[in-house]
This record gives sequence, C-alpha cells and structure tokens, in this order.
Amino acid sequence: MVGNDIVDLQLAKVQSNWQRKGYLEKVFNENERLLISSAENPDVIVWLLWSMKEAAYKIHNRVNGIREYAPKKLNCFIVPKVDLTRGRVNIDGAVYFTKSSINSAYLHTISSSIQHQIDAIKISIYEFPNHPSKYKDKNPGCISHHGKYLALAY
Amino acid sequence: MNKEEIISELKTIIQPYSEEALALESIDENTDFIKDLKVNSANLVDIVLDIEERFKIEIDNDSMAKMLNIKSTVEIIENKLQVNGG
Repeated sequence: MVGNDIVDLQLAKVQSNWQRKGYLEKVFNENERLLISSAENPDVIVWLLWSMKEAAYKIHNRVNGIREYAPKKLNCFIVPKVDLTRGRVNIDGAVYFTKSSINSAYLHTISSSIQHQIDAIKISIYEFPNHPSKYKDKNPGCISHHGKYLALAY
Repeated sequence: MNKEEIISELKTIIQPYSEEALALESIDENTDFIKDLKVNSANLVDIVLDIEERFKIEIDNDSMAKMLNIKSTVEIIENKLQVNGG
C-alpha cells in the first residue's frame, strides 16, 4: 500500500501561518519542534514533517479504518544533516517509511509500510492547468492535491 | 450558549478557511470539515486555535482528534464550556 502528500509551497505560505502562537505545539512533538527551530530553513522542515505525517496517515487510515485529526500521534524521524528526504513515521506501534522530494515549488512525500518497496513507487506530478482529466482511470494507489499540483503515486 | 449559537459562531470561524460558500451557508451537525467544507488539513489547526480563543477553552489532543465535523466539535465546545462554567 502506498501513501502520498504534496504541498504547494507558494500556497502554503499564504494559506498557513505556522508561526502563529500555539500552532506548532498542536501539530509537532518536542523532537520535531527541535528539528524546526534548529533548521536553517524552518519553513521547509515544517512542510516536510507535515507531508510525512499526511502520507503515513493516508496508509494508516486505510489499514485501520480510523479517521481522526491527531497529527501529534504521528512521530517523524529524519536525520537532518545527512539526508532530509528519507524518513520514518511511527503511529500506535506501526511504522511507515517515507521518501520526499523537495524543490522551491513543492514538497512531495511518498510512504510505504515496507522499507524496500519505497523505491519501487512510481510518481507523476502535474502542474495546473496540465492535470490529466481522467486521472482516476489510471488507478493510482494514492492521490494528493494542493494548490497548483496534483500528485499520483502507484 | 446553546447549540445554535455555537454553530453560528463556528460558521464565522470556519469562513476564512473554506471556499465552499454554499456548504458553509447550510452547515448542520453532519457537515464534515474536510469532505464538505474542503478545509485544508493544515488549516484545521487554525480552526482549533480560533475556537480556543473565541470560546476561551483549551482543546486537548484527544478532543482535537475528534474534531472532523460540526457535531463532535459542538459537543467538545459544550463540554469544555460546562467545565469552565461549573
């Protein structure tokens, strides 16, 4: 099973003010907040961790049928100085592996419960207005939409 | 504050985060923030923080976990207000 999540970084800038009082405390645990506060570019780390949580939740939610808004239950692990793009998310004893691509326009994370399968996941990212009209016919394993971007993971 | 008053306050709080004007106009207990009002999941945090400020309550993580629709959100607000008032 595959999960994914895309963040349009331009839109995120205007849509969300994570510097608002109390915001980070509702979403991120202490370790994650330390990663953010010690980062050169905290904006990227905020959305990287956010997309890791979302991508992991998308699998977890389908496996367990639990729908809830509990971002703090999803615990992200990355080694920031070594490789930002490979990570792990733990929730309720389950582990999901993540791989992210980061550029100045968007941040996209895919997730899998099986570590070696993460590199076999195929990704298609479309920028508006070039979204394929019948993308659901392509039977993607997971779909994510944000701002200008549509991301399909197979 | 009764249920109708809470829902009407919620409408004002949610408005900046939803482009679904029609769905927002006709919200009821079954309205879902993400499915019906198309609220971005990162903005759900803003809604929770706005609710805390507006109603002067504190929403813990377990309560926030349930705040996906109007019904459970109203129930949580009612409970917290009762605790504050009592």
